[in-house]
Amino acid sequence: MILLVDMDAFFASVEQAHHPQLRGVPVIVCGDPSRRGVVTAASYEARPSGVRAGMPLQEARRLCPEAQYVEGNPEKYVAISLALLNLYLSITPDVEPFSVDEAFLGVGRATTTLEEARAIAADLQRSILERFALTASIGIGPNKLVAKMAAGVEKPHGLTALDEEGFRRVFWPQEIQSMWGVGPQLATRMRSLGITTVGELAHAPDVALKATFGIIGPQLREAAWGRDDTPLTPYHRPVEAKSMGHEVTLPEDCHDPAFLEGTLLRLSDQVARRLRSEGYVGRTVCVKIRDRNFTTLMRQRVLGEFTADHRLVFETARALWRQHWKGEPLRLVGVTVSSLARAHAGGQSELFEPDLRATRLREALDRVRDRLGEASLVPAGSLTHRSRLGHVPFGPVTGPRGSCTPVPGSAHERHRASRRHRNLGLFIRRLGGALLSARHALPGLPRFLRPPLRGRRGQRDLLPHPRRADACAHGEEDARRVPVHGEAQPGDDPRDLA
Amino acid sequence: MNFESLSDRIDVLTAFVDGHVRPLRFRWQGRIVRVRKVTGEWNRREGSVLLRYFSVESHAADTYELCYDPRGPHWILSRVWNAS
Repeated sequence: MILLVDMDAFFASVEQAHHPQLRGVPVIVCGDPSRRGVVTAASYEARPSGVRAGMPLQEARRLCPEAQYVEGNPEKYVAISLALLNLYLSITPDVEPFSVDEAFLGVGRATTTLEEARAIAADLQRSILERFALTASIGIGPNKLVAKMAAGVEKPHGLTALDEEGFRRVFWPQEIQSMWGVGPQLATRMRSLGITTVGELAHAPDVALKATFGIIGPQLREAAWGRDDTPLTPYHRPVEAKSMGHEVTLPEDCHDPAFLEGTLLRLSDQVARRLRSEGYVGRTVCVKIRDRNFTTLMRQRVLGEFTADHRLVFETARALWRQHWKGEPLRLVGVTVSSLARAHAGGQSELFEPDLRATRLREALDRVRDRLGEASLVPAGSLTHRSRLGHVPFGPVTGPRGSCTPVPGSAHERHRASRRHRNLGLFIRRLGGALLSARHALPGLPRFLRPPLRGRRGQRDLLPHPRRADACAHGEEDARRVPVHGEAQPGDDPRDLA
Repeated sequence: MNFESLSDRIDVLTAFVDGHVRPLRFRWQGRIVRVRKVTGEWNRREGSVLLRYFSVESHAADTYELCYDPRGPHWILSRVWNAS
């Protein structure tokens, strides 16, 4: 028997669980609420107003002005998702994560009844509520299709168990678009054939379906009967990736070529880094741009070789962008690499790569990031505007960002300027420390980049300085005085706390 | 409700309960905040360093996000939600 655990309004529910003030009020999770962007998640209290994930924030504010807008924390959601995964694995080893807030679980044996599976699911719902203060809707079925669709029958905190017969009873009268895998365009084409409900799809002639939809036609008909033989792929069995990409909604519509190129460079670097860290190479580069009218353009180019080098990805993406961008202000830019292969198979040509120094440098830089974090090294071409892109998917380059915009000439701006200098110093210090640790791997580095060999005292000097506290109060122009580590403050005696 | 992103270094008094760290109270801006409830706990990796985050609720119904950074080691107050 298969369970589909679907966390209810996951991101918004996590924020409500962590911030009791948000419980019972409409909550909208988004990027930086002071900038434009889209709704990442809406709580159940916000949904009656018509707010949905993916909707522009401006529209959400119009529909639900009383909502609390919360800046999302993707790393927190992933961490909680992994903790949930551990909980599932304590029940069964057959767990297939489907998304950050959904997972398929294979429970019991072939002879397990719906009622037995329902008892397991009810226990799981209780555990999730007790441990995480979150609710989940669970669908139970003999296969993944039925479980997935059953999970949507009753929300939030629903528990629906259906066999194939129950599936037909519940879903046959429903609109064709309620079928898993039938989107708006497919539904429109089906309606043009006179198929408006799931039941009508189940009884549609195979020949007509095959002629119109090709090989998926008969598969959809089987699905309409509640039949699905897709195997559950357990967590421990790796799934081959087909593509990897990053995209970012810009802080404001932008037609500055330097800024857009810097963004493409940063995205290319992120994608290439992911490819390398997961052992892939790819040979198709796709660039995606979206203008202020939400017109999206995607163009791709097949390379002559497999690569995981950010320079090649960037150069290809930039060439595509230059070829197809007409100069209009853009709101979104993305880079994707597809046609993936495992690096040991697809990347054999790298054995004969003339630029071994570049490969070694790339490996050394990867080791730096493994040790100090993704933000410890970024391409120099994107440094000038790193603070503007310091949000998802890049992550902050230094500590958490303040949430207010400095007024030119204010003390706050001066503070930020001094912080930028400090950050640059931190960047150089981190780079120096990393090169020091990687000096044996970099015999080919130019002399001026080779770190001097120093004694222990010198080495310590190159280690990252402990991050200093940055303070930035919402809506305030002047930054609070920043206490420096080790500096005595009034009432600083730790015994006060005891 | 008011939300602030911060990075203030703070002193935190903690207890170990059932193998878990539990913040009990902390000093911020010269005053002591008593923790009524730990509402959430998660980790974030920054390179090889594992940062531990706690979402806590005070007796005044404000919520705070505390971060334990083992590099210092030190504690940082990273976010504040004011109920008022």
